[in-house]
Amino acid sequence: MAGQMADDARSIFSRAALSLPPPHVSLDLLSSGVCVRCIFRLFGVHGDFYSCPFLTGPGLHYFLKLQNGCQAGISENGHSSFGLHQCSTSEESDVDQKYCSICLGILQFPHDLYLGEGTSEDNFSIDVFVEKIAESIKIANYHIDGFFLEVSIPPVIVANERSIWSYMKKKYDSEAWFKNKSLYNQISLKDALRLSITESLEKKLGVKSGANSFHICLAYTNSEASLILQNSLRKVQSSNRRRTEKENVVKVVDQCGNGQVDSREQLCSKSDAAILKELSSLDDHTFFDLFELPPKKASNSCKLMITCYRMPMFIGGRYLKFSRKVSQTLWIIDDERMGEASVEEIVGTRALEICRGDSYKFHAAGREDIDVMVRNLEVVGSEAWNLMRVGEAEKQKQYAALVWISRPLIDEDLQSISSVNNMEISQSTPIRVLHRRSPLERKRIIHWMKIEKIVGSSQFFMLHLCTQAGTYIKEFVHGDLGRTFPSIGSLLACRAEILQLDVTDVKMDFKLVKLRFRPYACRACYEGIPSCSADVASYLFLFVFILYYLCPKELKLSIIKLKLHLG
Amino acid sequence: MAMTEGQETLEKSSLSSLEKSVEDEELRALLIPDLKDLPSIPRSAVESNFVRYYAVDFIKPAHDQYIYRHANGLCVIGLAPSHAALNDVGGVQSVDFNVGKSNRSDLKVTGKRKRNAQHLQPESALCNVCANGTYYTARCCVKGSLLEVNDRLIMNPELLNLAADREGYIAIIMPKPTDWLKVKDSFLSYEDYKKLRHQVSGSSASNVKAMKLKEAKPTNSCFGI
Repeated sequence: MAGQMADDARSIFSRAALSLPPPHVSLDLLSSGVCVRCIFRLFGVHGDFYSCPFLTGPGLHYFLKLQNGCQAGISENGHSSFGLHQCSTSEESDVDQKYCSICLGILQFPHDLYLGEGTSEDNFSIDVFVEKIAESIKIANYHIDGFFLEVSIPPVIVANERSIWSYMKKKYDSEAWFKNKSLYNQISLKDALRLSITESLEKKLGVKSGANSFHICLAYTNSEASLILQNSLRKVQSSNRRRTEKENVVKVVDQCGNGQVDSREQLCSKSDAAILKELSSLDDHTFFDLFELPPKKASNSCKLMITCYRMPMFIGGRYLKFSRKVSQTLWIIDDERMGEASVEEIVGTRALEICRGDSYKFHAAGREDIDVMVRNLEVVGSEAWNLMRVGEAEKQKQYAALVWISRPLIDEDLQSISSVNNMEISQSTPIRVLHRRSPLERKRIIHWMKIEKIVGSSQFFMLHLCTQAGTYIKEFVHGDLGRTFPSIGSLLACRAEILQLDVTDVKMDFKLVKLRFRPYACRACYEGIPSCSADVASYLFLFVFILYYLCPKELKLSIIKLKLHLG
Repeated sequence: MAMTEGQETLEKSSLSSLEKSVEDEELRALLIPDLKDLPSIPRSAVESNFVRYYAVDFIKPAHDQYIYRHANGLCVIGLAPSHAALNDVGGVQSVDFNVGKSNRSDLKVTGKRKRNAQHLQPESALCNVCANGTYYTARCCVKGSLLEVNDRLIMNPELLNLAADREGYIAIIMPKPTDWLKVKDSFLSYEDYKKLRHQVSGSSASNVKAMKLKEAKPTNSCFGI
C-alpha cells in the first residue's frame, strides 16, 4: 500500500517536474516556506496534480534531492520520505514554517482552518475539507443539481505573489530558465484551489460543478496579515500626502484636517478591491521598501467561512384581484397597516414558504389603488425584467368607472363623451401622490370613452374608457381641484364624482406562462417552469415577482384552465 | 371507447362554456352596482379625501380660511365661504401672488424631494385678493413648504367666486408632521365651523368678530376637538 502511494507521488512529481524550474530553485522556494501546490501554480503546472493528497513539502524536497543527485537518505526508508508520514517529517522542519508563506495555508488544507473547530487527527486534508463543505450543505438542507465554487481570498496573497516573483527575478534573472517565466503565466490561487477540490467534491456531492444557481462560497480571511498590509499601505499614502503638501505649501490648518482623516481611516478598514487597487499602483521601488523578499513565513493560517446560497430566481405572473380590501403592496401609514391584506404578501409569503427563501421583492408592472378591482388578468410570467419596463409606456388600460354628476345626464352628454378620440389631457401630479412624486404636468391620452346608462338613475352612469398607461383615472373624473384638465367635470360643465373604478383590460403582449397562482384563493402551484421542475422550484432563495397583464380572450381561457387545475 | 371519449370532450366543452358564461355574469355583477346601495348624492372627492379644518379670523377679523388636510399630510389652503373677500360686493376681481419680497407663483418646485420649495410660516402671505377695491391677504395658516400655488387664479379670479373650496383653492402646503400636530388644535373642525358661522350668517364682519370674541376666546383651546 505505502509503496503504491510512494510510486504515485514519485510519478506525479516527475511529471510536474517538466514545468518546474531547476531543482535548486524549487528547493530554495521550499526553504522559503512556499508550499508544493504554490510552487506548482507559480510555474503554471496544469492538470490533476493539485488534487493529489501526497503533495507535501518534505515529499517534494526528497524528490528534488533525488533529482539533484544527492543520493543521501534513500533506500528502505525512502517511502516514508515521500511524505506519507507527514507528522514525523514536519517535526524536523521549522515549527513556524507550518503554513505556506504565499497562500497562508489555503492550499495546504490544515485542520485549524475551520472557524471555531478544534484540530482533528485526519491525515488526508482534502478529504476532511470536502467533508466540511458537504456537511454545511447538508445542515442547510439544500437540494442541489450542481454547484458553483466561489472563492474569496485576502488581498495579502497578491502581495505575497508579487514579492516571491520579485525575489526570484532578483536572484535568478541571469539564469536561462527564468527567461520566459513571468507572474502572468501562473495559475491563480483560486483556480488551483478549484483544481484541488472540485473532483472530490463532485464525487462527494454526487453532482457536477459548473454554472449553477447554487453557489458554494469559500471565504478566506486572515485578519492579522490584512492588518499588517493595510498599515504598510497607509505608510505609503501618508508619505505621498506629505510630499504633495510640501509641494503645494499647504497651510497648517489643512494639515490638521488631514491628520483627522488619517485617524478616521484607521478605524474603518478598506474594501479588498480598494486594497488591491492600491497594491497594483505601487511601483517596484516602494513595493520593495514595504514588503520582505521573499515573503515572511506565516505562523497563522487563513480562516475559512463556508457559506452556501442560491442566486435569486425571478418568477413572473399576473394576478386577479376580486376584492376592494386587498391592496397591491403592503400599505402602511404612520405604522398602521391599511387594508386587510396585500397581493404582495399573499403571494410572497406563500411562495417564500414553498421555496424556503430568505426574502422576496415584489415588482409590479403597473399599480392600482386598494379599492380598484383588477379583473380579466392572467397569470403569466417571464424573467425579462426589461421587457416589462419597455412595455410600460406603450401599454393601454381599459377601465369601467361608476360616475355621478351634479345634474341629470342628457343625450348630448353621451355624444360629446363618445366623440372623444385620442384626446390629450394635462395632469398635474395628483394631490394624493404629490407627497412622494415629483410635481410635474404630464400629458396623457384618452383613447376613447363610452357612457353606459344605469337604468333607474339620471345622475349615475358607467363610464367605460381606454387610456394611455399612467393616466390617473380618478383625477380625470373629478378634476383634482382643476389640476387635471380637461376632466369629465369640465367636459360636462358640472361637478363629477367617481364612486368605483375597475380595470377591465390591460393591453400588453407577454405570454410566457411559468407560474400560475390565484392570490385571492391563496393557492399556488408551479407549472412548466423551463429547466426547473416543481421539485427544483421549491428551494429558491430570493423571490422577485413580475406582474404582467394579458388580453381578455386568452385570459378567460386561462382562468378556466386555472380553475380546472386548482379543482 | 371512442364514444365515451367523444362524450367526455363534449361534456368538457359544454362545461367550460357554461363556466365561461357564469363567470361573465359574476364579473358583471361585480362591476355594475345595485342602485339600492348608492347614495342619492355621493360624498365629493374633497369630502372623502380630505379632513376639513378652518382658521377663522386669521390675523384679521372675518379672514376665514380653510385647511383641507389629505391623509398623506399635504394641506390645501383656500378661502372659507365666510371670508370677507368672497362676501364683499361684486366678489373677487383679481388675485396677485406678488407679495412684497417674492412672487409666490414664480418659484417652481422640482423633484421628489421638492427642491426650491419656500418654507413658510403660518402668518406668511400667499397672495392678495382684491374685492371691491379692498385688498385681502390670504395666509399660509400652517408652517411648511409651499409646493404649489393655484396660478389659474391669476387669469381666472372668477374661480374664487364659483368654487372657492375646489378649483378656487389658493395653495398646497406640505407641513412637517410635528408642525402639523402643534398647529392642528388651533383650527376649527368642519362641524364647529358650520355651527359658528351659521349662527351669525347675515351679520356683518365686525359682528362676527364681536361674537367670536365673546364666546370663542375663552374656549379657544377646545376648538377642533
